[in-house]
Amino acid sequence: MGEIGNLAIGMAFIVSLYGLAAPLLGKALGRQQLVRSGSAAVYANFLLVTIASAALLQALLARDFGNAYVASYTSKDLGFWYTLSAFWAGQAGSLLFWAWLLTGFAVLVVWRQSVYQELMPYVNATLMGTAAFFTMLLTFVTSPFARVPFTPADGSGLNPLLQNPGMFFHPPTQYLGYVGFTIPFAFAIAAMATRRLDDEWIRATRRWTLMAWFFLTWGIIFGMQWAYVELGWGGYWAWDPVENASLMPWLTATAFLHSVMIQEKRDMLKVWNLVLIIFTFALSIFGTFLTRSGVLSSVHSFALSSMGPLFFGFILLSLIVSFVLLFVRLPSLRSAAELDSLVSRESSFLFNNLVLVGAAFSVFLGTVFPLLSEAVRGVKISVGPPFFNQVNVPIGLALLLLMGLCPLLAWRKASSRSLSRNVLLPAGITLIGAALMAALGLTSPIALVAFTLSIFTAASILQDFHRGAMVRRSHGETYPLAFAHLIARNHRRYGGYLVHIGVILLFAGMAGSAFSSEREAVLKKGQSTAMKQYTLRYEGANQYPTKSAQVTAATLTVFNGGDRIAVLNPQRNFHNTHREQPMTEVAIRSTWKEDLYIILAGLGQDGTANFRIIINPLMMWMWVGSVVLSLGTVIAFWPERGEALRNRSRYLVEAP
Amino acid sequence: MRIPALLVLAIVYLGLTAAPHAHAGDRGLASAFMCQCGCGLTLASCTHASCGPRDQVLGEIAAMERQGRSPEQITAALVATYGEVILGAPTRRGFNLLAWWGPYGAIAAGAALILGLGLSWVRRPRPVVPAAESDLSPEQRNRLERELRAFQD
Repeated sequence: MGEIGNLAIGMAFIVSLYGLAAPLLGKALGRQQLVRSGSAAVYANFLLVTIASAALLQALLARDFGNAYVASYTSKDLGFWYTLSAFWAGQAGSLLFWAWLLTGFAVLVVWRQSVYQELMPYVNATLMGTAAFFTMLLTFVTSPFARVPFTPADGSGLNPLLQNPGMFFHPPTQYLGYVGFTIPFAFAIAAMATRRLDDEWIRATRRWTLMAWFFLTWGIIFGMQWAYVELGWGGYWAWDPVENASLMPWLTATAFLHSVMIQEKRDMLKVWNLVLIIFTFALSIFGTFLTRSGVLSSVHSFALSSMGPLFFGFILLSLIVSFVLLFVRLPSLRSAAELDSLVSRESSFLFNNLVLVGAAFSVFLGTVFPLLSEAVRGVKISVGPPFFNQVNVPIGLALLLLMGLCPLLAWRKASSRSLSRNVLLPAGITLIGAALMAALGLTSPIALVAFTLSIFTAASILQDFHRGAMVRRSHGETYPLAFAHLIARNHRRYGGYLVHIGVILLFAGMAGSAFSSEREAVLKKGQSTAMKQYTLRYEGANQYPTKSAQVTAATLTVFNGGDRIAVLNPQRNFHNTHREQPMTEVAIRSTWKEDLYIILAGLGQDGTANFRIIINPLMMWMWVGSVVLSLGTVIAFWPERGEALRNRSRYLVEAP
Repeated sequence: MRIPALLVLAIVYLGLTAAPHAHAGDRGLASAFMCQCGCGLTLASCTHASCGPRDQVLGEIAAMERQGRSPEQITAALVATYGEVILGAPTRRGFNLLAWWGPYGAIAAGAALILGLGLSWVRRPRPVVPAAESDLSPEQRNRLERELRAFQD
């Protein structure tokens, strides 16, 4: 199967090159047949990459340890699901997975969006150009089908840190997000190439962008959840370069999702939207570059390889081609409209874009600053969480404020009368909330500002929901029905608001981290320790083997006051394939108020157990916020009745 | 726009003057220094269950704390031993100020651009376009105005 896989990948590379060249040549020479063969190449490419992927999956599941990739990332004792996840656990496999997703998306685009006849040749060429880069890497630099000289009896096994359900979902969702942004990028390139620079390319890709954003969001959330339960330090975001690399395209894509509305409604920000999607695409590739170049140390890094310069070259080439096209098209990109007022919803969107891009810039600058410092000063420095927290918390709070102001402002121009009328209720609720929090003893300035802005934003959004429902109720609908109809009639707007509510909950959860507390305790069997309202009694430790590890599990009974509320079992495991690296499996008791998070740091020779006990307030709000955010995205994604027909008929009427 | 701008400035000030803290709360100095094992994380968040470099630096910090040294003295001693790379955040001087203030400078420049362009657009006189004849009856128009007043989109 390895030979078939190699052959398929090599052929996919050639077909990708053909898929890149044929539509461009076809357009240049006016030969439609050549253009059409470019679309056929997209299907052929997907088929070939699917064959290669199937070959790798077969090798993984058959435990073909003669395959270097299989020997590096699986072992005999690895379960089915983690064996499946080994597909994307290593460098070559993850690149193949990327190529498979990309070619699969390309097929969907050719199949579903062929109505955009003028754009499609350039869309195909861009997608196949990107696929050519990835299949080139798989063909010439790192093959998932390389053989080892001698077949080992067993594989090295999957890194125990990756043996967590979160890791089964985190990389695929992350990749779905990264790869998904290639589609709007390809349409943007096509729009520039064909001079079809109105909002057609934005309408054609709105759902793709939203889908990519949704998956990237979930990729980040799964990563946070994995870090929280698996890494055992009590946090979920360490501002690691690769975490940052996922946040940057998320921020620019979020800005893009907002600013495209201005182009659709007012025919403004055409250049800005193109710039945003170009950067979103480049930043998506940048994350992959970081993990594979070794230029920055990261917990996510793959083994060092020669891929860094190739990725850097690809990013540079993409940026050069995109910005040259943009520069050439600048005269055709003049906006038809201008701002009517600085106090308007358009204006708030502009500032929201500014803050989001500012946040992306601050993360980018912090991530690459060690390299800059070494180049300029010749001094090695680190840029870690203390820096990122201090610089980005104010930016995040400014964003929260803008989220609250936006629903209060009318499109075009908000009169002072309407503005004061809209602000009154949210401001009143906010003042009462802030006073209550201060009275209850909330003294941390950052947390107080964060919670206050969260209340303001939630109040302004809920007021907008309420007013909309009341207008419908005046036509005889009951309030719940009016509320449901309101959302049903404008998925995009109210889905978006729901996403904002999810973000508020996420912010609240993050603000809760400011009140985390921690202590260490060394306990003998039967001894207890107290922390805040909790008393923890150490009942002893058990050691037992499992199929893949030697497990040491401590038992702690947790009391709140006199009531026994939980029995927790933090573990410290030695995996058979990675004995040099003991793994902690934390025990967590979650409530709406806080998480009780216990790490078994070690066992002493004298029978004592060393625990780190952390109380993380409001953690659950983060996960609930993530679910609300997803629900909002799904609502915003859901087609409204007749929308697709309207878009297509509009295109067909306008098409030459 | 003056009040939001002042509020943002106040938030920026609060953020920059707040004591450094990691996400997992106050872990003392362990959150302020980077682990030297190559994980790229702080001493408080190093992912290794057993980590020699982390335990060594934590031991040094604990010893200096027992000697009654201040956080500033401990920081100076660690920088002298390991170099600036041990610091979780760059110092606030010289070239490093670019990292600290660059993002705010960029945001401020962007805000100035939006305000400048926006003001020039807003102040530009626009041609008056006569309104098209409406098909609405006076009753429908009254109702529309009433609803628009109640729900301004």
